[in-house]
Amino acid sequence: MKKPIVSVKDFNLTIGNKRIVDDLSFEIQPGEIFAFLGANGSGKTSTIRSLLGIYQPTSGTLHIDGHTYTPQFSHLVGYLPEERGLYTRSKVLDTMIYFGELKGMKRDDARTFSLAYLERVGLADKATTKIKKLSGGQQQKVQLGVAIMNNPQLLILDEPTKGLDPVNRKLLLDIVDEHQAAGAAVIYITHLMEEVERLADTLLILKDGRAEAHGSVAAVKKQFKSTSIEDIFVSIYNENSAEVAHV
Amino acid sequence: MSKLKTVIRHEYLTIVKQPSFWIMMLAIPLLIAAALSLSYFGNKSSEERINELAKDLKNVTIIDQSGLIKSEVVAASGLTLSASESANTARETVRTGKKDALIVYPTDLAQKRTYQVYLSSNDLTKSSSVTSLADNLLKTSLFLPLGSGEIIALAQNGAESQLTTYENGVKTAGFNEYIVPGLFVILFYLIFAFSVGYMLTSVSEEKENRSMEMVLTYVRPRHLIVGKLLAVILVTLTQIIFFALLTLIAYFVAQSLGNSISLPAGINLDELVFDPIAIFFGLSFLIIGFLMFAGFMIATAAAAPSTKEANSFSSVFFIGAFAPFYFVMMIVTDPENSITKFLTFFPLTSPVVTLLRNTVGNMSLLEASLALATMTLAMIVTIALAIRMFRLGALEFSSRIKLSSLFGKG
Repeated sequence: MKKPIVSVKDFNLTIGNKRIVDDLSFEIQPGEIFAFLGANGSGKTSTIRSLLGIYQPTSGTLHIDGHTYTPQFSHLVGYLPEERGLYTRSKVLDTMIYFGELKGMKRDDARTFSLAYLERVGLADKATTKIKKLSGGQQQKVQLGVAIMNNPQLLILDEPTKGLDPVNRKLLLDIVDEHQAAGAAVIYITHLMEEVERLADTLLILKDGRAEAHGSVAAVKKQFKSTSIEDIFVSIYNENSAEVAHV
Repeated sequence: MSKLKTVIRHEYLTIVKQPSFWIMMLAIPLLIAAALSLSYFGNKSSEERINELAKDLKNVTIIDQSGLIKSEVVAASGLTLSASESANTARETVRTGKKDALIVYPTDLAQKRTYQVYLSSNDLTKSSSVTSLADNLLKTSLFLPLGSGEIIALAQNGAESQLTTYENGVKTAGFNEYIVPGLFVILFYLIFAFSVGYMLTSVSEEKENRSMEMVLTYVRPRHLIVGKLLAVILVTLTQIIFFALLTLIAYFVAQSLGNSISLPAGINLDELVFDPIAIFFGLSFLIIGFLMFAGFMIATAAAAPSTKEANSFSSVFFIGAFAPFYFVMMIVTDPENSITKFLTFFPLTSPVVTLLRNTVGNMSLLEASLALATMTLAMIVTIALAIRMFRLGALEFSSRIKLSSLFGKG
């Protein structure tokens, strides 16, 4: 067994009087695509923010490559958050270089990578365009580029294909495949179960901050005696549940 | 350290690369110059026109019942004095438009100090010129017994005072002593007008455009705030250098054109005083005051869910910075007044008040040190609160921070 890139143990998170995450534990191995599933407000984003040190856990440990994450380890991580946004008044290339430097790249390397990436995703002619002049899909591609800069060992993608057309969706999934093939682990958050079926090695379904299903895709299907992740998800959420916490 | 440098460079370039930044930088001195020129030339031209009209007014009846108006003065204006008993008839000729104007100096002019002017129309320029004529006739008549034209001019216009002051038996530089510490007041407002707002915009825009979460993944909140602060300080230095260069260029251009530059209020550049204590306190109040207001702006931007709301909240701090000017005379002339004392130590007003008092030198060393210590404490608390609010509010996109979460654990 390799050393896990992500290790979450006995993680609890309470904000104010609201329990957001309840005793969550899981591990992710290098090269693994981990589908992190749950309804809106189930605690997925809060877990990711805690993993990245943005929120402080109430108890438990969250480690990336054996460390509690701080921006000192930013070269390890690429994050495409659900709350998308870039510096709208800055130019595309300037923005990518800035984030590349924040992720530990040298300025020249960040520039070289950015130009090559923009070429690949069909945005080479937009390098000196201000972000605000790009379409939503184009901005999303720039954000994905930022996330994969410096070849992170862990990619965290929160609904990465939301709003993309089929061509760009395939392009994005190809990029995810390439990073997995290169040994990166991917935390993949989505509501599209066909993407889970196509990509995921393991999955975790979160409901009201608790893990309701966790394991390899095959093991979960076997446990729930179903051939469809979507059916499993629906069956979990159709049970009577406590009010879902919204964060 | 390298991330801090990256943040500083990004924030600095984001501001100075905006065309609006340079448009504002150029527009402000140009607008000030244009406004001053328009006001100067406008007033001059209007004054000249009124005087010209006053000289050309011939269709005016002048009646003197007071006995104070000299007929030779009236004659010098190309007019004649009319009989005093004809006032009613003369007024009728003005009302019907046969005469342009009538000036009546009444018998009780010396006691009541009023005289009457009647005009055949509602023309403001004509009204000003007839009033000017009436005033000149009266003044010149009264001053005529003084003798020569020079003495009459002296009596009418007064003379310029040249002030010499002594302190401990030694001649001081007078008003020139206030110039160097006074520059810190100007600098504070310059920084306030331009740079403090950048802190608000920088944080609130990052929050509003949702880039905050990605940024906070790769850089610590403290580094981000410090980087933004240092970038804004660099922006301010850029502005100061730019304005200083513009002033120098204007100075040299004026010199090359052969104009001698006369500075207002008797300011003499050769007599400027560089008092190290006043400069130390001026610089300290400026820097600490700037950091405190920057902290207010960060906290406001972090607490408010949108740029629009952040701008609304921040107006409180702008009022705080400008409020001392309502009390400026009291602040500079009555340092013992309890309102002056309160404004000196109240965080929102203390930067401007201490800078003003430091300029005129009405603060003892002890009071200045106490004010600086209080302001520094307020600045530390503000920045600490701002960082906490930033940590709590940076990812709050739809609601404001609750006070309970600000002062609670976590």
